[in-house]
Amino acid sequence: MLPPIDEIEVDRIHGTNDASRKAEKREVNVDMNPMVDLAFLLLTFFMLATTFSNPQVMELLVPAKPDADDAQQETPVKESRTMSLVLFQEKIVWYRGITDPEHFDISYDDTRLIGFLSAANKGTDGLVVLIKPLPESNYENLVTVLDALNNSGVQRYALDEPNEYDLNLSMQNP
Amino acid sequence: MNPMVDMAFLLVSFFMMTTTFKPELPEEIQIPSSTSEIKMPENDICTITISENGVVYFGIDNKFQRQRMLDIVGNQYNFSFTEREKEIFALQTVFGTSVGSLSDYLNAREASVPFVQTGIPMGEQNELRAWLLAARMANPRMRFAVNADRRVKYPMIHDLFELLRDLNITRFNLVTDTKVVHASAN
Repeated sequence: MLPPIDEIEVDRIHGTNDASRKAEKREVNVDMNPMVDLAFLLLTFFMLATTFSNPQVMELLVPAKPDADDAQQETPVKESRTMSLVLFQEKIVWYRGITDPEHFDISYDDTRLIGFLSAANKGTDGLVVLIKPLPESNYENLVTVLDALNNSGVQRYALDEPNEYDLNLSMQNP
Repeated sequence: MNPMVDMAFLLVSFFMMTTTFKPELPEEIQIPSSTSEIKMPENDICTITISENGVVYFGIDNKFQRQRMLDIVGNQYNFSFTEREKEIFALQTVFGTSVGSLSDYLNAREASVPFVQTGIPMGEQNELRAWLLAARMANPRMRFAVNADRRVKYPMIHDLFELLRDLNITRFNLVTDTKVVHASAN
């Protein structure tokens, strides 16, 4: 709140008559405290209301839906080059290929995931990773995996729907 | 005292010029983290926010485009809004109600009465689709960002991605926090 007007003093210190008033330099004292109060109030407000760091974004490119008359439909990929990551809530189950694969668990640990994926990427020429999030998995799981893929040099990866085999996996490992 | 006051005013002007206000979301969103270093674009951005409970909110950055967007969606659903309602709508950085209850929401906002937003319907009657289309019509250079809570279940995300794909929005952004991973990619 601003102070009442009588608190703002304008003092004339030197000079008592008109002649000397004109001749001498007058000193004016203005109470600056209210202004400073206001300045700091505004400063606090803007400091609290501002968002400094704009959040980061991760860019995601998804394939356009093919038209019905599109000549080029889905491109087949060699089974040996694919790796499926089935996303559970607490862990990932991965396997290579589709015919009778052996499956393994891996946790959502960034460092391990990146190490694992880049090793797999080096070992296979043109690795294609299929991400199959189960309905029980959440958004963070997906973002963790996408981020690990971005950081491990895997060139091709795709979001896919879990097939029957993957859904069976989730029945076996509750 | 003068140097201090000078400093204070300098800071005030600095904050006044650089400030961008936080969007006023009715629910707190915990976004996931990633190591991505791309900054969120500041303009031509349309944000789809999904809260933990799956409530969908929608917002675009430009005040004038918001009005245009409202006109387009209003026409489509045969809802007319008063000039006052349009003005209030232009001030909403983010909202999450169906077109039908938008009027009530805007009036509640004007009167500063609490109003529980139930989210933009995405089911049978996919209003989010209409808003996305209208946002792109209002600004053809619109970029899209998904700002979802990290606990949102995947099926919801899947539906949203499929909707975006369906509208030929094949490049979009996932809003994340920064995280540092102590391992090289080798």
